[in-house]
Amino acid sequence: MSSIVISRLRPGEGGALRLFASQEALLAFAIIGVAILVGLYNPRFLATRNLADIVLGNAYIAVAAIGMSMVIVSGNIDISVGSLIGVLATISGSLAVAGVPIILVWLTPLMVGILVMTLQGAVVAYLRIPAIVVTLGMLSILKGGLISVTGGRWITDLPQSFHLADIELFGILPMPVLIMVAATILAALWMRYSASGRAIFATGGNAEAARLCGVSPQRTVVMVFALHGLFAGIAALLFATQLKVIQSTVPPNLELTVITAAVVGGVSILGGVGTVVGSTLAAVLIAEIASALVFINVSPYWIHAVQGGLILVTVVADILRRRRRQVGE
Amino acid sequence: MKQFMKHRMMKTAALAILGAAMVGGSAVAADKWDGGDDLPTSPLACDAGPAAAAAAKPYDGGQSTGAPDKAGKPITLVDVPKLIGIGYFNATSKGMQDAAKEIGNVKVTTDGPTEAKIDEQIKFIDNYITRGVDGILFAANDPVAITPVLKKALSKGIHVVGYDANSQPDARQWFINQAQFNGIAKAMVDAMAKEVGEDKGFAIVTSTFTTPNQARWIAEMSAYAAKCHPKLKWLETVEAQEDNVLSFNQATTLINKYGDKLSGLFGMTSVATPASAEAVTKAGLCGKLAVVGLATPNAMKPYVNAGCVKSVVLWNPVDLGYAATYVMRAVVDGKLKPGATSVDAGKLGKLNVINGSEILLGSPFIFTKDNIKDFDF
Repeated sequence: MSSIVISRLRPGEGGALRLFASQEALLAFAIIGVAILVGLYNPRFLATRNLADIVLGNAYIAVAAIGMSMVIVSGNIDISVGSLIGVLATISGSLAVAGVPIILVWLTPLMVGILVMTLQGAVVAYLRIPAIVVTLGMLSILKGGLISVTGGRWITDLPQSFHLADIELFGILPMPVLIMVAATILAALWMRYSASGRAIFATGGNAEAARLCGVSPQRTVVMVFALHGLFAGIAALLFATQLKVIQSTVPPNLELTVITAAVVGGVSILGGVGTVVGSTLAAVLIAEIASALVFINVSPYWIHAVQGGLILVTVVADILRRRRRQVGE
Repeated sequence: MKQFMKHRMMKTAALAILGAAMVGGSAVAADKWDGGDDLPTSPLACDAGPAAAAAAKPYDGGQSTGAPDKAGKPITLVDVPKLIGIGYFNATSKGMQDAAKEIGNVKVTTDGPTEAKIDEQIKFIDNYITRGVDGILFAANDPVAITPVLKKALSKGIHVVGYDANSQPDARQWFINQAQFNGIAKAMVDAMAKEVGEDKGFAIVTSTFTTPNQARWIAEMSAYAAKCHPKLKWLETVEAQEDNVLSFNQATTLINKYGDKLSGLFGMTSVATPASAEAVTKAGLCGKLAVVGLATPNAMKPYVNAGCVKSVVLWNPVDLGYAATYVMRAVVDGKLKPGATSVDAGKLGKLNVINGSEILLGSPFIFTKDNIKDFDF
């Protein structure tokens, strides 16, 4: 049975069949399929400008989903990321308005992101408190803290130099897309080929076995959260610098969208399986569908139903796949 | 966890009703704009004149008992806004000082909490009742919770007038209402027709179809446009919650979807309007695609100064504070009594009494390139 063969192969050695059946390929087909269908209904959907806008406006979600994928692969979850992005955006914007040198304005959210997430990772790893509880606590702290400190006041009058997301490299390559693609490729290569990257899969797949093989699950979890913090910081920067106003509140349901991108991207909620190429493609697909709904005159409220449907399909497929594999073995 | 599971469950439920709702959703009346509510509308007259007063409602405000007669004599007032130190209430405070200077025998001090907290606000009002003032001006952090302390003030012979955010009617004598739904609707639609022309297409970016204020405004706009600008073509209403980035993405999608057919965008929230202006800017359509909306001036300054947005609709908080002070003076002087239909408010002229014990500030204020620099909120 082919499932037995596949399960014994190392990733990437399955040949053409496996490549076409992979989550990444399915997502790529889905992205192209949606584009063609909506394009037939309304050709304006396929205008370069519209396709670029879809990716530009949502690149930050893909970047945040990279870190989230790592966290979920390691067998954890983080529901504080949306709030953290809101807080980091506000910090960055406040520094910019205060006239702090722009390089510090850009680096501070990354540093604070790493700090907050490392702290959470340490609590999860060493105090053995489930990640969902720890990050739920952090979600409340960040959300409440942000409103208390800022009073909900918006940040306006941001200096022009602040707007990282508006920079176009060589005049054509927009920064958000560049960062999204580069971060995805680097993270994918690192997770696949480095020892510390593989340790994430080992920890999420079977922590005890990983420990016996010389991998420290605790240290891996802290490292994963720290990296997740870094990606959250980058996402916050893209999020904050694309518009001229920062709202100083937590973006509603952002954590859910990020988790959806990771899960639909093929990251198993049970841990141990998943790629960041998948999560980035999924983020693009979700953004594409949101835009498509407007083009085909469907209320954007359906995006929640569509996201929910995608999650259910992916999770059920994942569990079925696992079951078949267990039966095969 | 709970929240997460709830979202999941909600999503699942949403999916389950998808089929049914899709069938039902197709039977929407074509003459009404999406996002408006089904309540009766009362569109204003097309010309500039104010609407005829609605059916008179009897006075439903409270009374100050045992207040000393200070008609024509100097009075001391305290103003307790939701919070102090923000641009909006600095502006109302400035209006009060302007009015006090004009009137001459009024002294008004603004004092209040540094955060918009009702318990703090109650303490401030209570302190001023003990210290003794002739009148209290307030903008309530909570319409119900503030009621007992205001009633206490009335019972001690202190006059009470609200502005910006109301209490329950019987806890104050009068309330200055900054804008009515039909007034905002007229200002918005008139501005759009003036900017794009009478026969052009426009779309609306709102928070959600069910947000009460926005739904009311859209319903009134729809009714007013049908009456006064029948050729303006409504294309679509999109929801963007109160989310900056989503508003931007939705506005961008509308621009890409309609191309030349779209001549204007209405922003229905202070989030949607700047985000729509940003979308128009990024699309390079400044001057070709109009943005008219409700917003606060600070967030709109970059777009107004760049000439990308010509009309930002709101009310003038300086005028609001100014009117509140004139109303208070009229109450003390016995010139504004229950049953009155209008009151003199200095340079603002005669302001009409509506809804029993409210005073309408007048037509909404339109921030433009010429005046937006005078506001900081």
